[in-house]
Amino acid sequence: MLKYFLLNLLLTFVWVALTGQLNYTNFAFGLILGFFILWMLTRNSKPQDKEYFYRVPKILVFILNFLYDMLEANLRVAIDVVTPNLHATPGIIKYDIDAKTDFEITMLTNIIALTPGTMVIDIADDKSHIFIHTMYLKDKEKFINRMKERTEKKLLELLR
Amino acid sequence: MTVESYLITFVMPIICLSLIFIFLRFLKGPAVVDRVVALDLLITVGVGFIGLFSLIANNAIFLDVAMILALIAFLSTVAFSFYLDKRDKDD
Amino acid sequence: MTDTFIMVLSTIGAVFILIASIGILRMPDFYTRLSITIKAGTLGIGCILGAAAIHFSEFSITTKVFAIIFFLFITSPVAAFLIARTSYVTGIKLWSGTVMDELKGRYSTPKVSSKESTTSSNKNIE
Repeated sequence: MLKYFLLNLLLTFVWVALTGQLNYTNFAFGLILGFFILWMLTRNSKPQDKEYFYRVPKILVFILNFLYDMLEANLRVAIDVVTPNLHATPGIIKYDIDAKTDFEITMLTNIIALTPGTMVIDIADDKSHIFIHTMYLKDKEKFINRMKERTEKKLLELLR
Repeated sequence: MTVESYLITFVMPIICLSLIFIFLRFLKGPAVVDRVVALDLLITVGVGFIGLFSLIANNAIFLDVAMILALIAFLSTVAFSFYLDKRDKDD
Repeated sequence: MTDTFIMVLSTIGAVFILIASIGILRMPDFYTRLSITIKAGTLGIGCILGAAAIHFSEFSITTKVFAIIFFLFITSPVAAFLIARTSYVTGIKLWSGTVMDELKGRYSTPKVSSKESTTSSNKNIE
C-alpha cells in the first residue's frame, strides 16, 4: 500500500525532472501516468498488492460525493437564511458510531462538522456514541440511517 | 470592464457589508460565546478580504499575511473555550 | 475567459460570506448560528482564494492558496466543536423550537461528569 504510493511519487518526480516544467498540470499528469504504469506492472502479482489501485479511485469518488453533499446542504441553508420564514427544526441526536480509533473518530467528526446544518456537540467518555446537533430534523431513524449509509460506512471502508 | 474595477464596485462592498453584520452581532451577542464566534468569523472573513485585496492590488505578497492569519485564527477560539470551561468548573 | 471565471468565482464566494453574516445576525439561538456560520464562511473563502490562484497562476502562489484552504478546513471544525461543547457545559439555552434534546441530563450537574479535573483544580487552589 504505502510502497506503491512512494513508487508512484518517485515516478512522478522522474517525469517532472525529465520534462523540466514544474507546474500543477505537469505534476498531475505525471502522477496519473505513474499510476497507470504501476498498474500495468503489477497485473500478475498477489491481490493484496493490488489494493492500492482500487483504493485511489474510491478516495476520489468519496471526495466528489462529499463536495456535492456540502454544496447541496449549503444551498438549502442559504435559501432558509434569505427567505423571511424560518423552517428550521433543530435537535440533538445520540448517534452510535462504529469508528474505534481516535483518528477515525476525528475524521468522522470533521466531515460531520463541514456539512452545514450538522455539528458534533459532545463525544461520550467510552467513545461509543456521539451527540449530533442537526438543523432539519424530520425523522430520527431516517437521519441516522442516511448518516450511516452515506458517510460513516464509506469513510471506514477507506480508512481500514 | 476590467476585473479590478468589477471587484472594487461589486464584490468588495458585499464583503464590507457582511463584516458590518458580523460586527453588529459582536456588539449585540447576549452571551460571551456569541461574541467569540463572531470574532472567529471576523478573522475568517478577514482572510478572504486580504485574498481579494491581493487580487485588486495585483500583488501576491499579501497572501503570506492571509496564510499566517488562517493558521492562528482558531487559536483564539480554543483559548476562549478553554478559559470559559475552567471558569465554569472553578466557581 | 479567465477574467469571466475569476468574476464568477469571487462573486459566489462573496455571496456565501454574505449569507453567513446574515445567518449570524438573524438565527434564533447560538447552536444554529454556529452551525451556519463556520461552514458557509469557509466555503466562501475557498472560492475567493481559488479566484486569486487562477488570477496569478504561478506554482508558488497556488501552493500557498492550497495551504490556506487546507488550514481553514482542518481548524474550523475543531474550533466549532470546542466552542459548542463549552457552551453546552456552561448552560447556553437551546431555541424554543428545538424538537429533541438527547444530551439533556448529562450536564445538569456539571460537577459530577468532570469529577477528576474538578478535584485536581481544587487541589491546586488549596
